[in-house]
Amino acid sequence: MITAKNIVKRFGNLTAVNDISFELKKGETFGLLGPNGAGKTTTINMMVGVLKPDEGTISLNGTADPTRPEVRMQIGNAPQSIALYEELTAVENLRFFGRMYNLSGKKLKERVEWAIEFAGLKERRNSRVNTYSGGMKRRLNLACAMVHDPPMLLLDEPTVGVDPQSRNAIFDCIEKLIREGRTIVYTTHYMEEAQRLCDRVAIIDQGRILALDTIDKLIESHGGVSVIEAELAKRPDGNLNIPGEINGTSLRIETNNTLDAINKLAAAGLDVTTLNIHKADLETVFLNLTGRSLRD
Amino acid sequence: MRAIFNLALKDLLLLWRDKAGMFWVLAFPLIMALFFGSIFSGGGGSSAIGVALIDLDQSDNSKVFVEELKKSEALKVNTALGLDSARNFVRKGNLTAYILVKKGFGESTFFSRSDSGGLELGIDPSRKAEAGFLEGLITQALFKPMQQMFSDPSKTQEMIDQQMSELSDDVVAQNPELSHLKEMFANLNSFMGEVDSTELNANSPMQGPDIEVVEVSRTGDRPKSSWEITFPQSIIWALIGCAAAFAISIVIERVRGTFLRLRLAPISKMQILLGKGLACFLACVMVMIAILGFGILVFGVRIGNSLHLLLAIVASAVCFVGVMMLISVLGKTENAVAGSGWGIMLIFSMTGGGMIPLLAMPDWMVKVSHFSPVKWSILAAEGAIWRSFSFNEMLLPLGVLISIGIVGFTIGVTILSKSDG
Repeated sequence: MITAKNIVKRFGNLTAVNDISFELKKGETFGLLGPNGAGKTTTINMMVGVLKPDEGTISLNGTADPTRPEVRMQIGNAPQSIALYEELTAVENLRFFGRMYNLSGKKLKERVEWAIEFAGLKERRNSRVNTYSGGMKRRLNLACAMVHDPPMLLLDEPTVGVDPQSRNAIFDCIEKLIREGRTIVYTTHYMEEAQRLCDRVAIIDQGRILALDTIDKLIESHGGVSVIEAELAKRPDGNLNIPGEINGTSLRIETNNTLDAINKLAAAGLDVTTLNIHKADLETVFLNLTGRSLRD
Repeated sequence: MRAIFNLALKDLLLLWRDKAGMFWVLAFPLIMALFFGSIFSGGGGSSAIGVALIDLDQSDNSKVFVEELKKSEALKVNTALGLDSARNFVRKGNLTAYILVKKGFGESTFFSRSDSGGLELGIDPSRKAEAGFLEGLITQALFKPMQQMFSDPSKTQEMIDQQMSELSDDVVAQNPELSHLKEMFANLNSFMGEVDSTELNANSPMQGPDIEVVEVSRTGDRPKSSWEITFPQSIIWALIGCAAAFAISIVIERVRGTFLRLRLAPISKMQILLGKGLACFLACVMVMIAILGFGILVFGVRIGNSLHLLLAIVASAVCFVGVMMLISVLGKTENAVAGSGWGIMLIFSMTGGGMIPLLAMPDWMVKVSHFSPVKWSILAAEGAIWRSFSFNEMLLPLGVLISIGIVGFTIGVTILSKSDG
């Protein structure tokens, strides 16, 4: 559905996107993860035709020119900033953006009603946007991208600056879209979001894709070992067939097979008072790949 | 085309809901029109010239002169001040001038001049026009005592007797030419003794021709009232307000991301910008019609030629759409565009007659005004309202306005296109 081949984008001396390639299948949710300034938004802007790649090609549904109206009708974009008219109501915003996608009459009315329902703004449908909370604005921002019912969605950090309740509501909305079989490109630097929503993830930094795979495979290949920490009731006597190191009553095990290590611990008959398992996750993968130094 | 209209309607709705924006677009220009209109029309108080009059002579003639000046509707005469106070009042600008009637004024007659008598007119040198006007009024008043003297034979005989006494035999002996004058005085004295004063008053040649003041409505190339100057001027403020509001709205859309969102819709960038231009154009036309309509209904502003006015409105709106587009690329933030936009607009307004009427500008400023769209917009509106421009005369301001609009729009759109990739 979306194919990027060796795309490069430069701004003066800065190479924002450096030889990126990926392919998305229909109905897939694809995560673009990277620190600030990694090149995520530039990649999205090239995908929708706002920016032209200096090298390489991007094609959507087999069309190399994403600026063509029939291609744009297939795409919904929820930008990172809340791109709404604050002096208009939710209904007025949706109606306006719907008209921009050639909706009119009964179809427009139906889609506006759907979008209001989707965003959970039924009670405040006729209030001006400048009276909304941050979460309501984010939901409306997403609904405006969906008002013309596109099969392909580009969501650029859609949960920035919202409270946990609103974030969950947005997740619910996106999961509904995933169930409907829409193709989604999702950029974020919140790892738990990508882990919850994405089928595949590309970790991007300084304009390059560092890794691209399913989350399980990324953890397997880049996550490193899991750590089991146990606190014992008393120091064990003699030699025991257990992995890891014992320091007094503390036991630390580093392993690639967590379940096997726990089974061995149980078989040794030790009196364990507390047990903590630190399993490698996407954040570990991200930090392992992009480093721990600050990005400003 | 439907997309452009939808974009324009959205912008008009946003402007309508922006109270501050509406103030600058509609309320402020009306306030300007009312404020300057009331100042120039004299509606706020007397338009008479304030003068102090000090009569040191206190003769019959000086009293007639003073009374005559007091009668003038063009003057507001204050006779209660001394000379020093009067000078101070003029210096501070509280009075336009003072008139000092010197001692000996009454002895100055038609036939002789007193060395000591006379008048002193004290006036600020910067008020030359008022000085000339005052001299005219004073001259008119000076003739009144002379007229009264010749209308009363006994007074004339008194004056002649005085003059004849001065022409003694010794004086005539030294200057034989004066014997003819003495002879003329004797004949005149004899004539004055024989005439009927009532008949003389009725047919006196000294009364001059009767001046009948007839009010004639001004037509042609002069405004009937100050409102016909201030309302065309005020629509400039409305146009400036519209151009600034829409230029800022373009930046706001770019900063907030709605411009990007629109660019991802299946419409071209040109359609988006044309939508913005159409909204600005419609807003300009609507506020111009609203303000001029107010002027016509409430202050009786006459429209010389409705078709010409319509053309002036359309051309001015086109011009300020171009100016708007040009201003929108002067900065990347709301503050930058608002600051630079209003700065440029104020210069246009100052030099183009938005603040000082074109009629009152010195020559050099009139030349500078050619570079301001404000001047051409005012000229087009005035041409249709009171200057009685023919269609051919309208073509110049209309052409300049439309050219500025096209050039501004093209430059603005080109820069916007490049800056957004």
